[in-house]
Amino acid sequence: MRGGAIPILAWGTILLLLAIGNWVWNGRLVGGLAASGAVAIIYLFGLAVWLARREAIRRGPPEPREDPETIPQTSLAAVGIGVSAGCALFGLAWAKFLLDFGIALFIVSVGRMALEFRAERASRRQVLAEEKHE
Amino acid sequence: MTGWFGAVTSTDHKRMGLTLGVCSLFFFLLGGVFALLMRTQLAQSNMQFVSDNSYNELFTMHGSTMIYLFVTPMAIALGLYLVPLQIGATRVSAPRLCLIGLWTWLCGGLVMQQGWFASGGAGRTGWSSIAPLSNGTNTPGVGQDLWVIGVILAACGILLMAACLVTTIARRRAPGMSLLRMPVFTWTELVSVLMVVGSFPMLILAMVLLYIDRHGGHIFTGFTGAIDYQDLFWFFGHPVVYVMFFPYLGSAAEAIAVSSHKRWFGYIAFVASMMMFAALSMAVWSHHMYVTGGVTNQYFAFTSTLLLVPAGIEYFDVVGTLIGGSIVLRTSMLFALTFFIQFLIGGLSGIFVASPVLDYQAYGTYIVVAHFHYTLFAGSIFGFFAGVYHWFPKITGAFLRERLGKLQLLLMVVGTNLTFFPMFFLGNDGMPRRVSRYPTHPGWGTLNELETIGAGIIALGVLTFLINVFVSLRRRVPAGDDPWLGHTLEWATTSPPPPLNFEAPLPPIRSYAPLLDLREQEIDRARERAEVTAD
Repeated sequence: MRGGAIPILAWGTILLLLAIGNWVWNGRLVGGLAASGAVAIIYLFGLAVWLARREAIRRGPPEPREDPETIPQTSLAAVGIGVSAGCALFGLAWAKFLLDFGIALFIVSVGRMALEFRAERASRRQVLAEEKHE
Repeated sequence: MTGWFGAVTSTDHKRMGLTLGVCSLFFFLLGGVFALLMRTQLAQSNMQFVSDNSYNELFTMHGSTMIYLFVTPMAIALGLYLVPLQIGATRVSAPRLCLIGLWTWLCGGLVMQQGWFASGGAGRTGWSSIAPLSNGTNTPGVGQDLWVIGVILAACGILLMAACLVTTIARRRAPGMSLLRMPVFTWTELVSVLMVVGSFPMLILAMVLLYIDRHGGHIFTGFTGAIDYQDLFWFFGHPVVYVMFFPYLGSAAEAIAVSSHKRWFGYIAFVASMMMFAALSMAVWSHHMYVTGGVTNQYFAFTSTLLLVPAGIEYFDVVGTLIGGSIVLRTSMLFALTFFIQFLIGGLSGIFVASPVLDYQAYGTYIVVAHFHYTLFAGSIFGFFAGVYHWFPKITGAFLRERLGKLQLLLMVVGTNLTFFPMFFLGNDGMPRRVSRYPTHPGWGTLNELETIGAGIIALGVLTFLINVFVSLRRRVPAGDDPWLGHTLEWATTSPPPPLNFEAPLPPIRSYAPLLDLREQEIDRARERAEVTAD
């Protein structure tokens, strides 16, 4: 989509100028690194958006999409990954068995996520084949 | 998929937004109960309602619950529900990642609250948990560990959901929806989630290092260690104030524009001010550290004072929108106007604490508590309710009751000002914050009693809101698709919106108010027809 990366990169540039000002004036290592880290994160994010779709750097409204896309309705795997993170970290502090349970749940959930993606790709291929047939 | 299983596993942005919103609201009520307990303890000098340790837990968990589990996630919840609708998208980008974020955040909230059941109690070092107070020697116990882990999980969850929203805005806008045609609310959300992406990693880093420190890592030791922790924490801690403010500003702005039957005044200046506000907000963090003597106060005083410029532009835009508008004083509009008036008190008191010489005097007193409650409660929460009354018909298809809404507003305005305004006097008189008991001092007892009564009135206001939601959903008054004559695309679909958001084709998008464009075109055509007939 056009223009999507522009505010992110503009924002990163303003932040870069402020971070330089902070570095020159304040000169503290951790504060400077935090500001520089934030600039790097914002720039990397803008770069990722741009690389994902080159039009993101151009101005103007986006064009209509032609290609069909699959839209998941539910995802048990995503819930599993979120809960596994909670269980594992909870297990670090209290109820140690939850650490093992969380790791096991994470592995199972990632496996299920792979299956969900595979089913999604198959469904998209089927739609494309039907469109081609028509 | 329907039922509770479908609701909790759904990747539909509207369901995720609602789940996040309802869970956040639950945490809001919980945080409110903590506040009431604190205010009961402070009602009179030398009260013994809760122990000193319990009071420390209460103010820590109140602040943490409100910031990590209510105001910030509720801002994301509003964005998750409304942003795809406002930009004409059928869904969010990476919905599974968003769902992972939702559940990680929820687990974080539950882990944090588990601290109440731990030996030694819940986290008790304040919502910022400044080191070395929060290290393993000074604050031992599992409860503080659970607090740290809860914050890590909640922050990771919010970060994932924010990343999904940024990508959605960047990649899924409808044809014709250029960046400068995005609605005001979407812009406030975009800037907020950009700040989350930029600042939350520092919070996660600070908390991971604190956890290691608490378990023998010795990271934040000595004077430098304490300053380093604060540098990392406040690098997140100040931007999050704006993350907790912008989306509610956007909600209030939408309510004001629609209820004034006018376009938002000074749109480009508003967008520019948002970007400036957000960039500056990540360059002011050390104004929380003036008294440490470890930072260059001039730089941070300069950038903090510069915040006045974008704030002034936003107030100018509000006034410009109201002037000449055909104003309808419905509940959402009243909440929005109150938001701007009360936030002004928070903003003006912010000028004092942005100045190092004045901050040396105010630091650690109730002036600071009054200042941030005027920005976060008297500001953001009123903006939140403006948004709720504005979008409730879109989300549920039914109106909220106006009379109950106005009663809630009255109770909340009285309660808020009764609770937080006396804090300025107490702070000016030197009453320190974060103390469970205070000595008998002329005037302090009366002012604290008033504050406790005010907190009770706020609770009544919130109860009125819950009753309003219950009554409005039980005895529904159908709202139709566009009851307020809205300006933006969410009002072009059914109420509540269908699974893929839009069944009919979208109207042409030629500005940030496409539905208002359509109505104005119709009026122009009708006028031309009338002129032709008259000729």
